[in-house]
Amino acid sequence: MKDYMMIFIGADYEELGLSPEQLQDKMSKWFAWNSKMQEQGILREGNALKAPAKRVSGSDKTVTDGPFVEGKELIGGYYIINVEDADAAAKVAEDYPDYDLGGIVEIREVMVFDQ
Amino acid sequence: MKKEVVDHLFRHQYGKMVSILIKFFGFSHLETIEDAIQDTFIKATLSWRNQLPDNPEAWLTQAAKNRTIDLLRQIQAEKSRLDKINNGPSSIQLNELFLEHEIEDSQLRMVFVACHPHLKAEEQIAFALKTISGFSTKEIAAALLLKEETVKKRLSRARKSIVEKNIQFNFPEAQQIEDRLNRVLKVIYLTFNEGFHSTNKKEVVRKDLCGEAIRLCVLLLKKKQFRTGSSYALFALLCFLSARIESKTDENNEIVNLRNQDRSKWHPPLIKMGDDALSKSMEYEDVSHYHFEAFIAAEHLKAKTFEETNWNKILFWYRKLNVLHPSPSSRLNMAMVYIQLNEFKEAIILLNQIKSSDLEQRAYLLYGCYSNYYEKTGKGTKALEYMDMAINCVTNTQEKKHLEKERTKILHKFSL
Repeated sequence: MKDYMMIFIGADYEELGLSPEQLQDKMSKWFAWNSKMQEQGILREGNALKAPAKRVSGSDKTVTDGPFVEGKELIGGYYIINVEDADAAAKVAEDYPDYDLGGIVEIREVMVFDQ
Repeated sequence: MKKEVVDHLFRHQYGKMVSILIKFFGFSHLETIEDAIQDTFIKATLSWRNQLPDNPEAWLTQAAKNRTIDLLRQIQAEKSRLDKINNGPSSIQLNELFLEHEIEDSQLRMVFVACHPHLKAEEQIAFALKTISGFSTKEIAAALLLKEETVKKRLSRARKSIVEKNIQFNFPEAQQIEDRLNRVLKVIYLTFNEGFHSTNKKEVVRKDLCGEAIRLCVLLLKKKQFRTGSSYALFALLCFLSARIESKTDENNEIVNLRNQDRSKWHPPLIKMGDDALSKSMEYEDVSHYHFEAFIAAEHLKAKTFEETNWNKILFWYRKLNVLHPSPSSRLNMAMVYIQLNEFKEAIILLNQIKSSDLEQRAYLLYGCYSNYYEKTGKGTKALEYMDMAINCVTNTQEKKHLEKERTKILHKFSL
């Protein structure tokens, strides 16, 4: 079993101007997905990320304030799950609720370093 | 562990929160308030992902309250008021605004504001759906078959008029109650109708719109000064029509006409509620078209089969309706009844009085009725011609399918 990070890109609810009804529908789907992963015991952790960002760059460590990317490229959150392999992780990601809003899930294996 | 959020909670909370915050801040901050509530919902969708709160409604209310305070901080002009809220007796006042009966009171005030004569009729329904029922501009556009841009324009015109004309967050004065109440009833009636005969492309019945209309009607009847014959009659009508909602479409979401509806699916508790409301409506002196429409709907529900329908009684009520409230659609309905009664002469006289443009989106009903008339009087080619006209102008896909089936029947019957 390995850890995979599912990174959610795009589908910024704030920018899309969803109606209360649509927001509730989305929320219920996220909740259902979360519960499902918990019941399967595969969910390690996960968080949603706020949109405002800072970047530190260069040898003089310059700090700049975002936004840096458009809403459709914004990382909105992540989950880390423990599953057999990348295919299994992709299977889990099928339940991501925001494909219809143009959202994307990127799956990355968490590297394990030998002791 | 299975926890569910009540259906339409967000939508209903939206209307509640708008009216509470308006009561507190006044209409000049309407747009800021709408934005703030949207923020609250987005916050909820994020933080409820992992854990639903024990009491979602209370969570939202609390968040809205906090957002109220945020708003106050942001709006400089309100600064002195903020001190009072944090320290003075108005902090109690703010809490009281969130009590159930206060919420209902605020929502009802909002309904009357939406129906203020300073707003145009077309703006009223859009504004009501937005601020009371929590529909997005997109949903309103779909429900009312308008362009989203048009809805946006109407909403902003309504907001502007409310601020410019300094409309107060009050119930109408005693002498204006009748007129304003009539407008409110009309908005409720139109909302329901749009749900019941949806012109939306895919859905035949939009239950959410019907539900909203009923909810507002119930809200209205809770207050003594708004209980009139008309408001009870409207409520009765909505109950009777809702009782048949489940049978209007089959398992494939295809339309089932009244003749073929599974009458065992009709909902007895709603019929009972409608009966009670209808008899209450007769304790008042005012008589409205809602009364007659409710009597007609009740008559349909009494028939155990389509064949047992008492068309003569229905005709009697349609005649009354047409005297009180002559309209192209009541004439059309009357024509349909005459066809059922095989009184074709009467039917065609009525049909020829109706212009298709009077029915706007529902002109297909007129053509369908003509087709029915010609079919029954043995004129196959004419029946087919009118059915094609109906098919050409219908917008709803399910209605279209239904009409196409009827067309096939005509082809068979007359071996065309």
